[in-house]
Amino acid sequence: MAYQAEGADTIDSMLDLMRRLPPTRIEENVFALTQLVPDSADEFLGSVDQPLKTKMDKATGREYLTCDYNRDGDSYRSPWSNEYDPPLEDGTVPSTKLRKLEIQANDAFDSYREMYYEGGVSSVFLWDLDDGGFAGVVLLKKILKPQSASAPSGSWDSIHVFETAERGRHAHYKLTSTVMLQMVAGKSSVEGESKKVGEWTKTAEDNVDLSGSMTRQAEADAPISDQSSHIVNVGRMIEDMEIKMRNLLQEVYFGKTRDIVFDLRSVESLEKQRRQRDLQKELVGMMNRNKAS
Amino acid sequence: MSIASSFLLQSPPGEINDVLSDVRNIIADDAELEKGIAAALEEYNLTQFTTVEVPGHQHQVIVCEDGRTDEGSDGSLPRFFDPRSKTRFTFNHADLSVSDPQPAEASQDNESFRSALETQTLTYLHDHYHEGVASVFALSHTTFSIVLVANKYNPSNFWSGRWRSRYLIDLAKGQINGKVFINVHYYEQGNVQLQSTHTPSLSLAPPHPIPATSQTATKLLKLIEIQEGEYQTSLANVYHEMGEKTFKGLRRALPMTRSKMDWDKVLGYKLGAELSASNTGRFGAASS
Repeated sequence: MAYQAEGADTIDSMLDLMRRLPPTRIEENVFALTQLVPDSADEFLGSVDQPLKTKMDKATGREYLTCDYNRDGDSYRSPWSNEYDPPLEDGTVPSTKLRKLEIQANDAFDSYREMYYEGGVSSVFLWDLDDGGFAGVVLLKKILKPQSASAPSGSWDSIHVFETAERGRHAHYKLTSTVMLQMVAGKSSVEGESKKVGEWTKTAEDNVDLSGSMTRQAEADAPISDQSSHIVNVGRMIEDMEIKMRNLLQEVYFGKTRDIVFDLRSVESLEKQRRQRDLQKELVGMMNRNKAS
Repeated sequence: MSIASSFLLQSPPGEINDVLSDVRNIIADDAELEKGIAAALEEYNLTQFTTVEVPGHQHQVIVCEDGRTDEGSDGSLPRFFDPRSKTRFTFNHADLSVSDPQPAEASQDNESFRSALETQTLTYLHDHYHEGVASVFALSHTTFSIVLVANKYNPSNFWSGRWRSRYLIDLAKGQINGKVFINVHYYEQGNVQLQSTHTPSLSLAPPHPIPATSQTATKLLKLIEIQEGEYQTSLANVYHEMGEKTFKGLRRALPMTRSKMDWDKVLGYKLGAELSASNTGRFGAASS
């Protein structure tokens, strides 16, 4: 059968699909879509966020993160050594001036990572834009292994893509931030439970998975005195964005989705609530009648 | 087509039409698609406990494996049974339409127990689910299934949710085996999903077989009510633990210093350290 890939419509539908299908199966579904519509694969991969992968920089022994922005073919560039793995002779690298800034940015965000994440891995990649400006991506990832067999585990992936345009002594910044947060609980909490007559038991199939991603955008103008001003400006912007998004995630994950569950089923007897409501109505009615008389 | 089918089966509650229209746009071959996904639509409807209005009656029935009859196996559309109204009907998995309703006999001698179980199930449903549908099927002389689904779709506020429960009751063995699935989707500028699986089971005290009486029906539903209540409470605890431990452990709200990072200082500090050329290691957190 011939599949037809037709520009923007197809991409929009592919992205809408990713907004609906389970976040736990992103990679599998992204791969399936690129197989289904190979013509749109590159454009699609450039606009869909996937969980970040960790790779070891062989030259420095430090871990870094990989995504579409430090990929060239099948190789990934390390922010620490600037080398591609597997090695590439003519892999795309930033200009000398931008690479200097990239090194500084990686150091600064490494401190940021330690302060907020107390672990994990960070990577910053910059690239030159045709109009003389530059763009970049700041990546942060932390995985939390369960502290006990029954405790929840989780992972946090931040992807901040920004673009700068210098306007004299000011620069304009555009930021698109995605945070992917995944939490799983309960898988092994029930093993070894003995079956007793008259008591409910559960199997090892029991589990709770609360996963997903949220995306937000921001724009700002800020003064610049030299190149490293960009790191200060972008750094503050990303820090504010992450603080905002952490609150948002907290609200959606632990407030919104929980409320929906309790909207489906009520622990309390609804019949009792209905009767109480009826009683209240009756009482109000009686009081009104008394007032009127 | 297996890819398209897989996408459909992953559809969040109430969003299969949105997923289908995306897939249709991507594949752009309606005729092939329609043929290729028929099996997936059927599987989706049966496993997701799709509900339909029973023609001529004021209630809904769940279209699921337990209600499928052996009619329609000759290639025509499948027929299902609504035990509550004793109606057999044809169901179209592609457009969810119901046709050709026919009254059917419920001649089996287990009907009085099934009916008692149904009465108790509907009372329970009304007592704990805001908008739910339940069907109770007699699978054999001594086995019964309670199937329950509650949906809430709110596309204008970008969320949907579904609770599904199925309990298989075996009077001969004195066993209840349950499966409970909860799916929640929140998708305003994002895609956040809760997927939970719960597999409760219970061995009833002898004598076995358990007598098929209305007292048994009442007791069984009481047991299910207690169990589902406890599960919901335990889910609230999981939420609490994820929020207090996992979420806080992944990223702090603010650094240990309780103030935001001093970017000027961090950059200046780095520069100074670079000049001194004595420190090639990594910097830890700014002292707290």
